[in-house]
Amino acid sequence: MVIRMSKRVISIFLGPQHPGAPGNVAFKLLVDGERVLDIELVPGFLHRGFEKMMEYRRWDMDLVMSARICVEDPDHVELAFTHALEQIYGIEPPEKAKYVRVVVAEFSRLASHLLWMMHFAGPIAARYATSWAIAAREEILKWFDYVTGHRIYHHYIFPGGIRWDIPSDFKERTLKVLKHIEPLIRDLEKGFFKHPIFVKRARDLGRLKPGDAIRLGATGPVLRGSGVKHDLRKLLKYDAYGEIDFEIAHGEYGDAYDRAMVRLKEMYISMEIIKQAISKMPIDGPYRWRLQPAIPAGEGIGRVESARGEFIAHIINKPPNKFSGPLTPYRVKFRGPTMAHLTTVLKHIVRNEEITIADLPVLIGSLDPCPPDIDR
Amino acid sequence: MVLSAILLGFKYLFKRPYTRMYPYKEKAYTTSKTRARHILYLDRCIGCRACQFACPADAIKMYVLEGDYPKNRKKIFPGIDYSRCTYCGLCVEACPVNALVMTNYTMEHLITEDKSTTLYTPEMLSVPPKGEYIVTLSRDTWKKPPSPIPKKK
Amino acid sequence: MKLEVDQIVDLDKKLIEKLPEEYKDKVVIKGSGTGKRLEIEIDPLDLCKVLPVVKETGYDHFLGITVIDHPDENVFELVYLISSTKRSGALLVIRTKLNRDNPVIDTASFIYPLAYYQEIEAYEFFGIKFNNHDGLKLWILEDNWRGPPPLRKDVDTRKIVLDLYYGGKRYERPVQWRSLGGLRNTNGDQNE
Repeated sequence: MVIRMSKRVISIFLGPQHPGAPGNVAFKLLVDGERVLDIELVPGFLHRGFEKMMEYRRWDMDLVMSARICVEDPDHVELAFTHALEQIYGIEPPEKAKYVRVVVAEFSRLASHLLWMMHFAGPIAARYATSWAIAAREEILKWFDYVTGHRIYHHYIFPGGIRWDIPSDFKERTLKVLKHIEPLIRDLEKGFFKHPIFVKRARDLGRLKPGDAIRLGATGPVLRGSGVKHDLRKLLKYDAYGEIDFEIAHGEYGDAYDRAMVRLKEMYISMEIIKQAISKMPIDGPYRWRLQPAIPAGEGIGRVESARGEFIAHIINKPPNKFSGPLTPYRVKFRGPTMAHLTTVLKHIVRNEEITIADLPVLIGSLDPCPPDIDR
Repeated sequence: MVLSAILLGFKYLFKRPYTRMYPYKEKAYTTSKTRARHILYLDRCIGCRACQFACPADAIKMYVLEGDYPKNRKKIFPGIDYSRCTYCGLCVEACPVNALVMTNYTMEHLITEDKSTTLYTPEMLSVPPKGEYIVTLSRDTWKKPPSPIPKKK
Repeated sequence: MKLEVDQIVDLDKKLIEKLPEEYKDKVVIKGSGTGKRLEIEIDPLDLCKVLPVVKETGYDHFLGITVIDHPDENVFELVYLISSTKRSGALLVIRTKLNRDNPVIDTASFIYPLAYYQEIEAYEFFGIKFNNHDGLKLWILEDNWRGPPPLRKDVDTRKIVLDLYYGGKRYERPVQWRSLGGLRNTNGDQNE
């Protein structure tokens, strides 16, 4: 759709079918020649009404559904949901489950970052990087298949612990996967992140100052790329992250290159965390507490640092009344990181910088959007 | 610097591709935990409908079968609509008598030209798949069942 | 974990000093684990008095608005989730209750820009109106939904969908007749 405002300034759509669009969302652009003057998000192509559906279903079914909210990083959504529910039940997961959750969540972060590599390198026309990243992700998906039973939607992190016990050769298998993907990621660094064409493309593009990043509500790698050391894994020390020693990856300048480098560093840090978690993990002991099917009345807010930023599950349960049954939660709300990145942050960058249409895929890619968590 | 990236690319030129020739040459990659097609043991099922109430996708419906089933007085058995099934495994977890199990078999019920073949009735579920398969998810998965919550002091 | 609690308690004093008089003794610590939080319950008319104070004291990172519908009390409960990057991610929750018959509250988008979009969401899913907000419209539900705001508790979306598409019954596939009372072999070699 093209609306002509004047001779030069026109309004056009980008997405949802545009190859440069991040998928499932459209953008309304106001362009003056090549330059983008303003950008507006048009969501709603993937609205499935999960929050309402969850009010009709039991909590274990809700967990299965919650993974569908962000396809690329499902374990962190499950983890947020699990945290919120465990707060309502007033329990702590068993020690072993805490470590396994860390491993699963970090693998999910790795897989998500590698998938982001594919989305990001494509618009820059670095096709080789996309296929290497997908090859590395494939190994992780096979690991997921082996441990959790599925490649994409795992439903392995469960309120009360983990769903079933880990296989006997969990440690060896995990180390084998890390051994396999580490050279691939090193090659990606050498062949893509340090590549002069990529550096020229991404440097100075979409600069976000730390004050603005906080004010606009950016989270995750976008916030850390601007130089703010804000990582919930370190700050809240949920699950077993308190026992693990790791650093927070952060950029300095806050442009697309810094954000990309933060994700690359996070991949290395994730692998380090997995290695530490495996070595510290207790082998014996319970893996899951048995929970009552009926949720007690209460409120829980689960906050986790997902691959894209802060993910919040807010669950409220009231005593059963006319409007809610005894087994279903009263209200479930999810807060995804993408809404801030694609609305306020993107608008701020486009309005304050000279961005052309050709820059947009790189800019949007550097924010790593996952549109399903806007729509839910 | 650009040259080094090209040289790096040469390394990958001679690697085996990751693509699997599914379904004609190779089978799907499955492991000993992959959740895929169910098998229903008609002689074990007691018709308690636990699987139906556990299904988040509303894919399970109970059917009445004719025949002699001493354990199942109402003679109702679950049938699964595979076009809705999400393979979460909650039905297997809910089954109290290990009548419903999951295998790692992922062929006909997923690859089809006719959508109506994805609807599996109890008899179809009770026939084991023809190819190789192993039972991946059953009551034995929880050999060590979840522990009760320790009481707070 | 102990250190974190100390920090929150420490912050308590700074925040309480600056809060308006009537809310000074209403700040409470609630929750456990990652949901550990400070809570204040305020009057909806005082929102624009409290939020600038909150932002000044270091709660600079707006996360979202959760709306909870309580038809039995005839109120909408708005929960503002605000965290702090300066205070190691501490969470502050501001709750306020609106009358369900005429839910109007001031916008927070001038203080926290992200609230602009969260408020649009609250408008389309619950029908809450925000003063001085210029973009209230159907945003996620654009072209998808006609009817009352769907996340209200008294709206049964399941019934609406069934009435609209399946004639008021449970969703069922039309081919299911063939399974009742034994199966005839309809599709080749899959069964006997």
